[in-house]
Amino acid sequence: MGQQVFIFGAAFLGSAVEATEALTIVLAVGLTRGWRAPLLGTVAAIVALAALVILFGQLIVTRIPDSALKLLVGTLLLLFGLNWLHKAVLRSAGAVAMRDEARAYQQTVSQLQEAQQQEKQSRTDWAGFVLALKGVFLEGLEVVFIVIGVGGTGHGLPTAVAGGLIAAAVVAAVGFFVRRPLARVPENTLKYGVGVILTSLGTFWAAEGMGATWPGDFLSIFVLVAVYFGASRLAVELIRRPALA
Amino acid sequence: MNFLRAAVRQVVGLFVSDWVQAGVVLAIIAAGWLAVSRLGTPAVAVFVLLIAAQLVWFARAEGVTKSRQQSPS
Repeated sequence: MGQQVFIFGAAFLGSAVEATEALTIVLAVGLTRGWRAPLLGTVAAIVALAALVILFGQLIVTRIPDSALKLLVGTLLLLFGLNWLHKAVLRSAGAVAMRDEARAYQQTVSQLQEAQQQEKQSRTDWAGFVLALKGVFLEGLEVVFIVIGVGGTGHGLPTAVAGGLIAAAVVAAVGFFVRRPLARVPENTLKYGVGVILTSLGTFWAAEGMGATWPGDFLSIFVLVAVYFGASRLAVELIRRPALA
Repeated sequence: MNFLRAAVRQVVGLFVSDWVQAGVVLAIIAAGWLAVSRLGTPAVAVFVLLIAAQLVWFARAEGVTKSRQQSPS
């Protein structure tokens, strides 16, 4: 039960962060140029993602042995999680600017205005379509990877899929009613937390793929979370006070 | 074409932002694999500590450089 809650939470939080970023792009296109093109782009991206998941998901699950799959997914999840955690540490230490959805929204709007000046009158808003397609597809790829990485190697895939879908639905519903970028979502804190969780899960799966057995089985993930959180706080302190290094 | 190129770059970027750091992580995983097959589960503790240590090392190195660039005085 605890394992399922953990998997659901990790998939939900990671997917919510990525869905918020995708929503910012779709809102920027929809509110400045109309909704037809970005909605078509969003649907096209979702269809492309579904096709990728069905195609590669089947290939990976049926062709790769369990231990190799754990090692592969664990390694990718470890790289992915460390990437998030590394950026989160830099943001937390003030070395890199925090991500700001309002600013990302403004950047997309200016990009669209430039495109509008350059393009001739056309029945189809290709710039809006491509921007929404690209944004939703690329952020969606991260959601897919988080869901498969978190739940794919154990019995937690249905739970992880539920977490990812509910997160996307919640963010889409909130975006539909609010109709502006979700700047109040504590995105940087979420990314920090999810970075720690993904790094811990990646370590867990990778070590199992190597043939190790964890003491306390899934409970050892909480020890990994503590170790990586401690390491990340140490890194933040060393950046803030380089004299300590 | 540009879209595909940007997509591939972004997909690779999900896993690798610094090639040296990614290489170090992969080397630690490879060493961990060898160590676990010879020494068993206790080798996992060293594996975890090495991963945590590289996180501190690379984040500190980039963070200190970026902080210095922000305040050149």
